[in-house]
Amino acid sequence: MARLSFAHVRSRFWMAACWVSAAVVLAVCAGIVLAMAARGIGALEPSFFTTDPQPSFEESLAGGIRAPLAGSVILAVSGILAVFLPSLGAAIYLAEYMDEQKLGTRAIRLGLEVLAGVPSVVFGFWGLAVFSQPIFAFLSDSAGGDATSAFGRSFLVGALVMAVHILPFVVKVMEEAIRAVPRALREAGYALGLTKWRMIKRVVLPSAAPGIVTAIVLGLGLIVGDTAIVWLTVGGTMTMSGADAWWLPHNWLPVLKGTGSTLTTFIFYSSPAGEGNAPGKAYGAAFVLLALVVALNAFVAWIGRQRSIKAQ
Amino acid sequence: MNDVAEVVLPAVPTAGTASVDVACEPWAVQAAGVSSWYGSNQVLKDVDICIPQRRITALIGPSGCGKSTFLRCVNRMNDLIRGFRMQGTVSVHGEDINGPQVDVTLLRRTVGMVFQHPNPFPMSVYDNIALAVREHKPSINRDELDGIVEQSLKDAHLWDEVKDRLSGSALGLSGGQQQRLCIARALAVKPEVLMLDEPCASLDPIATGKIEELLLQLRERYTIIIVTHNLAQARRISDEMAFFLMGEMLEQGPTQQVLAAPQREETAAYLDGSYG
Repeated sequence: MARLSFAHVRSRFWMAACWVSAAVVLAVCAGIVLAMAARGIGALEPSFFTTDPQPSFEESLAGGIRAPLAGSVILAVSGILAVFLPSLGAAIYLAEYMDEQKLGTRAIRLGLEVLAGVPSVVFGFWGLAVFSQPIFAFLSDSAGGDATSAFGRSFLVGALVMAVHILPFVVKVMEEAIRAVPRALREAGYALGLTKWRMIKRVVLPSAAPGIVTAIVLGLGLIVGDTAIVWLTVGGTMTMSGADAWWLPHNWLPVLKGTGSTLTTFIFYSSPAGEGNAPGKAYGAAFVLLALVVALNAFVAWIGRQRSIKAQ
Repeated sequence: MNDVAEVVLPAVPTAGTASVDVACEPWAVQAAGVSSWYGSNQVLKDVDICIPQRRITALIGPSGCGKSTFLRCVNRMNDLIRGFRMQGTVSVHGEDINGPQVDVTLLRRTVGMVFQHPNPFPMSVYDNIALAVREHKPSINRDELDGIVEQSLKDAHLWDEVKDRLSGSALGLSGGQQQRLCIARALAVKPEVLMLDEPCASLDPIATGKIEELLLQLRERYTIIIVTHNLAQARRISDEMAFFLMGEMLEQGPTQQVLAAPQREETAAYLDGSYG
């Protein structure tokens, strides 16, 4: 009896330890959200969303997050556009065509793992070095009107570097989604006389669509959340350098070729670590960014739930 | 093995289907000396079999006896399995399916297949049927496609149940409806042979009854090969029967004849329920 009750106590102890660990995770998460909310919510006036940042020593005059918010959206959308086809192609290749035994396959897998492990600041630095080459001058405004060199910083450059940064993560999620399509559906496709590519296009991809959308949304989250790449390759200007009226379609190309900011670089700039020194604005922007990321995660969870309802 | 097959092969017109003279009809599917392996594991041993046209042929035998593997040889679904190897010849309407000129996608349209578990695509009822039709005839217009979808669903005895929900997800149908949808999907590409691998294994008796009734009607237009564990089902619907055991095809003949007077002890023991 005594041994049994000791076992019970031990069991209870570990259960309690697990509960405490979970509670710590939850508390840290809630603490961050609440801290940002408590300090940032005061900044959330309508004008915060409708004015551009204005460098000022007086925080009340420092403007809002219109340009950084637009910058986050522009960078996320263009980054996803750049990554979508290459990552879908790679995922299809990895899931459907590759022979796992072959050396080339293992090399590609190793490459993706290495890519996934590279810190984003390294990508940023690499991107700056590469896209400053004169041959890439079409992606960014040329430096000082000198057509033989490139500035190397623009939304286009940032989007391409982001695409490389998120590629391994997006490929991984897409590959898993494609692999998860049941064998029975593939066999049904083949049994109807579809060729392999037709079967992939008509059966596998439509069935994997929710997972592919999940991969895209996760990619959006990664882009929206990254700071280092933006700081190095989109430039440190808080407003759009391409054109002030960035929302007008004829300004889109100049805006993409120009520099700007995102919510993350705005937070860095406005925090005491940056030059802007408007912490209230930084808290406000951080709260907006958190809300965006939470919304994206909720969307992913919703897709997952739709999928499991469908599967029942 | 060959001697047994030769004894059985000259098929006598089947009782109950005397309207068609089997002897005058060419075989729909013929296999000669078929052996196959998954890796080093031999699953079929020198199988000879002849499947008559426009009849229901039931392949019976205990689990793991090679019935399904044989079925998958006929439409070359086994090609998709790494390590699969086959010897011997299988011909469909006299043409060797492993011949160099054979287009395997065309073969699979000629020899349709329905699987053990209903496997509709996770899309609408309409698209489940239209998918393969569109792929094989990209220029098809909407009216023609609508017609094929309707006809296939009618042929599969499903039209009345789904005509008001063609755009609804196929996954919302019951198991029996899903299986009939899979049959409709196979019929839509106009096959000549329809193979069913234990199509009622996961269905209740009512859904099973509907599928059996459907197969009896389809027999007039299609050659049907059905793998079944269910002897009573084979008795109810099949004209011809082939008994598989441990990878060998031991006995083939008209269903009534095999059931009443099996030629082999093993068949008799299986029919008695001594094993299986």
